[in-house]
Amino acid sequence: MMQTRVVPQRGFNLDYIMFIFTRVSGLSIVLLALVGIILAMVMGARTQMDLGTLMRWTFFPNPNHVVNSDIPDVTLGWANAYWSTMQFLLIFFAFTHAANGLRMIVEDYVNRGVGQLLVRGFFFLLWLFMLITAIFVVLSS
Amino acid sequence: MEATVKIFRFNPETDQKPHFETYTMPVESTDRVLDLLEYIKGNFDGTLSFRRSCAHGICGSDAMRINGRNYLACKALVKDVGLKIKVEPVLGLKVIKDLIVDMDPFFEHFRSVMPYFVNDEPPPAKERLQTIEERERFDDTTKCILCACCTTSCPSFWANQEYLGPAAMVNAHRFIFDSRDRAAAERLRILNDQFGVFRCHTIFNCTIACPREIEITQAIGELKNAISTGALE
Repeated sequence: MMQTRVVPQRGFNLDYIMFIFTRVSGLSIVLLALVGIILAMVMGARTQMDLGTLMRWTFFPNPNHVVNSDIPDVTLGWANAYWSTMQFLLIFFAFTHAANGLRMIVEDYVNRGVGQLLVRGFFFLLWLFMLITAIFVVLSS
Repeated sequence: MEATVKIFRFNPETDQKPHFETYTMPVESTDRVLDLLEYIKGNFDGTLSFRRSCAHGICGSDAMRINGRNYLACKALVKDVGLKIKVEPVLGLKVIKDLIVDMDPFFEHFRSVMPYFVNDEPPPAKERLQTIEERERFDDTTKCILCACCTTSCPSFWANQEYLGPAAMVNAHRFIFDSRDRAAAERLRILNDQFGVFRCHTIFNCTIACPREIEITQAIGELKNAISTGALE
């Protein structure tokens, strides 16, 4: 009978955390998009949206993405805290996932030193800017 | 039948940049690519340089890129690779001459994972015993011959030579899962580095390239799992 041995103190680092995060975020993006598309259908997307609008809704469920000139108050029911949270989570997972991919590309292809630090810093700031912009768009719509 | 062999040539003493030379020769379908290289060296150009030793798939000296895939030249048969054969040095390591690459970075990574038995406990009177199941746990990774076919077929290694690479991880796996060894925690800490196991993107090139048919991607997955859970199951 083989005994399970346990190894303590393995330590954490950014790559380990991001390895877990990329798996969690990848699955979450698919799940959130699925929830978005299903609930949009339940809320009448079949009659109120064309395919392009439905896709925009799926990946960024912002009330501004619900377009139908025949129904003036179409956004009623789509702008609430639930959809705001959905929007923010999708944006957070997608941009953080992408920013981590860029970080790894930079580490692989830009020589170590000041240059790499600057490029990594630029992508970090870009990630932060996109998140702040996303929060602004989510809260103001 | 005749085979056309196109070979990567580079002599740093005379060439500004590498080039290819093509040779045509009579072959049998059961000839090995190594036989063809020996034929070229013996009959066409004695300056052709490549590593070889046992020529029986054990020493791991003659790893090279044949028709775009890593093989041991002594295990690649003409009937498997076809009559138009392109031979290049493995990728990701500096070319010294023709098909010979500098293996130092590869062995540095190998040495960095402590590929040796560590146990400071006093040994028993006869030997450190192990059950059949405990021995089977790391049986696959004992087969590694350090030919570098896996590491030099890995795009993560091509992109960044600081990455430990599959071969070093396979050899770490061999000792980490050995129930008699006591340095698993230290090895897992080494593997849990910025350029350790989490740089593996499960591309599976290593598993395809391995001439010993080691399930390398699975072994790396088991290492990731061991780092995450701490359990050496």
